[in-house]
Amino acid sequence: MKNRKTIGRIILEIVMFLASLLFLYPLFLAINNSFKSFGEVMRDVIALPEKLMLENYSYVWKFIDYPKLFTNNLVITVLGLAGIVFVSSIAAYKLARTKSRWSILIYMLCIMPMLIPFQSIMLSVVQLANQLNLSESTVGLGLLYWGFGAPLAVFIYHGFVKGIPKEIDESATIDGASGFRLYFSVIFPLLKSVTTTIVIIDVMWIWNDFLLPLLLVNGSPDTKTLTLAAYTFVGQYTSDWQYAMTAMVMAVLPSIVVFMFLQKYIVKGVVAGAVKG
Amino acid sequence: MFKFLGRKGNDKLEFGLFTIPVIICIAVAFYIPFFMTIRYSLMEWNGISSSPKFVGLENYKQIFMGDANFAQASWFTIKYTVLYIVLINVIAILLALLLNMKLKTTTWLRAAFFIPYILSLVIVGFIWKFIFMQGFESLGKSTGWGIFELSWLGDPKLAFISILLVSIWQSVGFYLVIYIAGLQSVPDDLKEAAVVDGAGPIRRFFNITLPLLAPSITISVFMALTNSIKVFDVILSLTAGGPGGTTYSVAYDIYRDTFQNNLFGYGTAKAIVLFVVVLVITIIQLTLFKRREVEA
Repeated sequence: MKNRKTIGRIILEIVMFLASLLFLYPLFLAINNSFKSFGEVMRDVIALPEKLMLENYSYVWKFIDYPKLFTNNLVITVLGLAGIVFVSSIAAYKLARTKSRWSILIYMLCIMPMLIPFQSIMLSVVQLANQLNLSESTVGLGLLYWGFGAPLAVFIYHGFVKGIPKEIDESATIDGASGFRLYFSVIFPLLKSVTTTIVIIDVMWIWNDFLLPLLLVNGSPDTKTLTLAAYTFVGQYTSDWQYAMTAMVMAVLPSIVVFMFLQKYIVKGVVAGAVKG
Repeated sequence: MFKFLGRKGNDKLEFGLFTIPVIICIAVAFYIPFFMTIRYSLMEWNGISSSPKFVGLENYKQIFMGDANFAQASWFTIKYTVLYIVLINVIAILLALLLNMKLKTTTWLRAAFFIPYILSLVIVGFIWKFIFMQGFESLGKSTGWGIFELSWLGDPKLAFISILLVSIWQSVGFYLVIYIAGLQSVPDDLKEAAVVDGAGPIRRFFNITLPLLAPSITISVFMALTNSIKVFDVILSLTAGGPGGTTYSVAYDIYRDTFQNNLFGYGTAKAIVLFVVVLVITIIQLTLFKRREVEA
């Protein structure tokens, strides 16, 4: 009886392991074919490359100006994130600590936009961004994310601040700290766990976001993001699959590398974000 | 901060300093565009001419009276949303049950199923396009299975299934980790008690595990609904609306009208319709959710 159970478990282990490999097979095929020549891709997609065509990588690297794209993504993501965390956390703190009709009203105004689908307002966002000179610039794009990310961040921070005892503020006030000094030296450090959650879900969102950059970059090469460049690249090379797959692998590689190192935190952050949101 | 203002005035000033930045950001991102959208939706405008024409509710009338594209896109989105919600939750629960059996490879399995979720949907769409177009040909040759010789992106019915399949493949890991977290909060002694009482695994699942998973199911259904009703990126790169315009979703239809056909007024009217639908569905869901919470 006991033996049968262990055998069953071993079979289950093997089946699940094979299933996970099958699940990731499409990614493997993408990587596999990024190292092949055009003829090889056309002949057989499954076979391993006869010799590694590293030229594919150097070609795409230069053609799409990978370092530039990577820097763009980094600037947009870091700027967007810093703003979301700063602007939302101070507001959520003040709103949670103030008991007044104004405070409730502003809180509602902050979180209600979670109900507005981006596609419903995208045209007007583009028009407004053009008028405010925020389009066709990485900084402008980063700044726009402050507003798009704020509703969820305010909501999560607000819920968390309510759990921090008010006595902490009061004792800090007696010690002579007030305003922003009180906030940054006493309160903000206490928000660390919830800030981590917000950082994780927002990095995944901003780094991979497609529609907003597509609409706002307008073909200007200085502002392109990784995903956007991969998209336009494939549009130009519809049948050159080896280059297309190289571009895809280069676009997703940073995410996969980061995930391998921070797997535990990312999964935890995503779960926490979903449960609180 | 400023002594001359007195304590009350100082509090007010501080309240403003802390909250005004977020109000400005949200106004720029949501509220100003939202009211602009409502205004545009009452106009006929191609985006270029300097004088848009006010047409009242004419755009809305046209959407509901005679727009075959919108009707088709709505039907596509409804079918997609319902199937996506059901399939992703069933698959994720089943996987979560298997992964919760404390296998030696659990950490690897969870990571493996989660990886596609960290990738951009547009890129996932392209990778799968390559698999469907080139990969399946090679797989068909080497296995001889007919399933690989079907036209997965060329036939309207199969293209729909392909989009659904790719979306599920990309996001199943997300729902999986939510359900694993939910399962871990099911107390072991409850399950042990049921074993002692002689309940088989299937009865244990339906009578104990599933009811205790209710909060996770609520979250997952809610997330699946809000994500699938706005489906766009994956279609853009996988089928681009084809074959023959059969795989346009509502969001993609709005994109097509506003940015490809330059029907700014008409496209934004559709966008407002989408907003109202999402709003109504969310309100219904939140009320149902509240009621259930009271019962529990």
